[in-house]
Amino acid sequence: MRTTLSQILLLVGKDLRIEARSRQTLGLVITLGLLIVVVLGLGLGAEAAKGYSAMAVLWVAYLFSGVLCFEKTMAVERHEGAMAGLLLAPVDRGVIYLSKLIANLLMMLAVALVVTPAGVLFFSFDLSAAPLSFALIMGLGMLGVAAVGTLFAAVVSSTRLAGGLLAMVVFPVVLPVVIASTQLMLGIFRDGKELGGTGLAVLIAFDVIFVTVSWLVFEWILEP
Amino acid sequence: MNSKTKTLIAAGTVLTLALFGAALAMLVYYTPTEKSMGQIQKVFYIHLPVAINTFLACLVSFIASVGYLWTRRMSWDDLAASSAKVAVVLCSIVLLTGMIWGKAAWGQWWTWSPRLTFSLMLWLLYVVYLIIRNSIDSAPRRALISAVYSVIAFLDVPLVYLSARLMQDIHPQSIELEPAMKLTLLVWFIPVTLANAGMITLRYMLARAQAETAGQSPTDQQQPAIEPGSAQWHALLNGNGSTSDREVNK
Amino acid sequence: MRSIERSTSAQAAAAELAVHARNLRKVIDDRVILDDLGFAIPRGRYIALLGANGAGKSTLMRILSMLTPPSGGELSLFGQPLRSTSAGMRRRIGLISHQAMLYRDLSPRENLRLFGKLYGMRNADQRATQLLQLVNLADRADDPVKNFSRGMTQRTAIARALMHDPDLILADEPFAGLDAPSTHTVELLLDALNKSGRTILLANHDIEQSLRLAQQVLVLRRGKLVLDCPSSQVSAAEVLKEIGG
Repeated sequence: MRTTLSQILLLVGKDLRIEARSRQTLGLVITLGLLIVVVLGLGLGAEAAKGYSAMAVLWVAYLFSGVLCFEKTMAVERHEGAMAGLLLAPVDRGVIYLSKLIANLLMMLAVALVVTPAGVLFFSFDLSAAPLSFALIMGLGMLGVAAVGTLFAAVVSSTRLAGGLLAMVVFPVVLPVVIASTQLMLGIFRDGKELGGTGLAVLIAFDVIFVTVSWLVFEWILEP
Repeated sequence: MNSKTKTLIAAGTVLTLALFGAALAMLVYYTPTEKSMGQIQKVFYIHLPVAINTFLACLVSFIASVGYLWTRRMSWDDLAASSAKVAVVLCSIVLLTGMIWGKAAWGQWWTWSPRLTFSLMLWLLYVVYLIIRNSIDSAPRRALISAVYSVIAFLDVPLVYLSARLMQDIHPQSIELEPAMKLTLLVWFIPVTLANAGMITLRYMLARAQAETAGQSPTDQQQPAIEPGSAQWHALLNGNGSTSDREVNK
Repeated sequence: MRSIERSTSAQAAAAELAVHARNLRKVIDDRVILDDLGFAIPRGRYIALLGANGAGKSTLMRILSMLTPPSGGELSLFGQPLRSTSAGMRRRIGLISHQAMLYRDLSPRENLRLFGKLYGMRNADQRATQLLQLVNLADRADDPVKNFSRGMTQRTAIARALMHDPDLILADEPFAGLDAPSTHTVELLLDALNKSGRTILLANHDIEQSLRLAQQVLVLRRGKLVLDCPSSQVSAAEVLKEIGG
C-alpha cells in the first residue's frame, strides 16, 4: 500500500515536472479554452450569450481542452518508448493508470481555474447562489471525462491514428456527464432546487463505473 | 460456403421477407387506426420492435467484445463488428421512425425529448465504434481497441438512458393499446427479430469467409528464393528474364 | 535443430540456469510467432540471439523481459517459474532496447532517479551519479535527454537498464544506429558486465560481431530455434545459412 502510494506520487510528480520543464501543454490548452469561450460568445451574440448558455460553453471548452491534455500527457509516454520502461519496472499497471488520471485531472482543473471565471464573466452567469455545488458538479464531471479520456488516450496514442479521433471517441461516451451536470445546474440555479437526485447519481455512477473499468482494462491495452 | 448453408440462407431470407409481407398486410388491413394521430401512428409497430432489437444487437456486440478480450480469437471480433453494424442500421430506423412520429404528434421533426435524445446518443456511440474500426489498420490492434470501446459504450448505455430521462418529457410513457393493436405489435416482433439475427449471422459469415481467404497468405505457397549468384539471379539482374529459363533448365 | 553442446548432466541444478525455456510458444491473433522453443542459458553466459527480421527475436526478448506473457510452454528464470505479477523477478531483469525508454524532457539524472525509485531503490541518487560517470555522461547529467545525440541517448538508456543492478541483461539491438566509438563503448560495457557475472542475451544483426562477442549463439528462423551452439564452433557463413532461406 505504501509503495503503491509512493509510486503514484512519483509518477504524478514526473508528469508535473515534465510539464513544468517543457511548458507544452498548459499554455496551449488554456488558450484553447479561452478561445472557445470567446468564439461561442461572439457566435451567440449579445442576446443569447447570457446566463445558462455559459454552462454549455464551459463544457465545450472543458471537453476540447481536456482531450488535448490527454493527448499531450500520453505523447510524453510514447516518445522514446518511455512507457515500456514503466512496464518493465515492478509497477502495477493500475498504478500507471491512476497516476496518469490524477495528472490529467490536475491539468483539467488548471484549465478550469482560468476558463471558468472567463466564461462566468463574459456570459454574466451568477454563481453566487451555490458556488460549492457548481464546483462539486464540475469536479465530478471532469473526473468522469478524465477517466474515459485517459484510457482512450493510451489506446489512441499506441496506434497511428489521426489527431482528432480521441475527441470523437471520448465525446459520445461522456454525453451523460454533460446532460446530468447541465440538468443539475439548471435545477440549482434556475429552479432553486437542492443538489441531489438522479442527476447526481448519474454523475457519481459514471465516475465509479469508468474509473473502475478503465483501471481494470488498462493492462490489456498497453500490451501491443 | 457450401451449398447447404447457401440453401439455408436463401430459405431464411425468403421466410423473413414473407413474414414481413404478412405483418405489413396485417398492419394495413387488420390493425385499427388510432383516433388522434391516424395512419401515422402505425409507424409505432415498427418503431418499438426495432428499438428493442437495436438493444439486442448492442448486447450481442458487448458479449462478443468480452469474448474477444477473454479468448483473443478473431471470430469474436468479427461477431462484435457484425452486430455493431446491424445495431447502427436498426438504430437509424429507430431514429427515423421516431422523427416521423414526432412530426405527426408534435409538428416538429426533432425535439430534445428523452427518448429521441437517447436514440441519438446510442446511434452516435455505435457510429463511432464503426469509425474506430475503420481507422486502424493492424487487425489485432483494431480488435483490441474496438473491444475495449464496445465494452465502455455498452456500460454507458444505462447512464445515457438515465441522463436522457432528466430532460423534460413529452414522449408517450405508456400507451393504452387495444387487443388488436397489441397483437400487431407482437406479430411485428417476429420478422424484425429474425431480420436482426439473420443480418448479424450473414455479416459474421461474410467476415469469417474473408478472414479465411486472407489467412491463405502467400507465404503458404511461397516460391523458393532465388539463390544470390546463381545463373537465374544474374539473368534477372541483367534484365533478360527470357534466357533464365533455358539456363536454369540445362 | 542442430545441438552441438548438450547439457552435460540432466540434473544440472535449475538455479544454475538464468533462463530455461521448454516448449515456449507465442501466438498473436492466430499467427504463430514463436514455435516450441526449448533452450537453456546458464548463469554468467554471454549469448547472441540471431535471426532475420520477423524471426521472433524481439518477441522472445519481450517475453523474457515480462512485457508480454507467453501463450504456452514453460519458462523459468533463475530456477523460478515466470509470473507476470512477480515484482521480485522484474528487479533481476534489465532490458536495453533500440528504443531509449526515457523521458525526453527530463535529464539523465532525473530519468535514472525516477526508474531507480520505481524499482524501490533507496540509494537511487548515488547509484545514478555512479552510472552516469560509468557511461561518461557526468558532465551532461542535468541536460534534458532530448538535446542528446543518438549515442549519448543510448548510453543513458543503458545506464537506465543497469540502474537496479539486474542479473540478466537483455540487449535487443543495442547497436542499432550507433557510430563506431559508441558501438565500441557499448561492446566494452556488455563485456565487463558479463565478466562480473551477469548473464547477457544479445539480439543482434551483425553475425561476425555476435560470434566475436558471445560465447554461445542461438538462431531463430520463423519462430523456431534452428541453431544452439558455442560460437567458437560455427562460422559466420554457417550461421548465415541457418538464418536465411
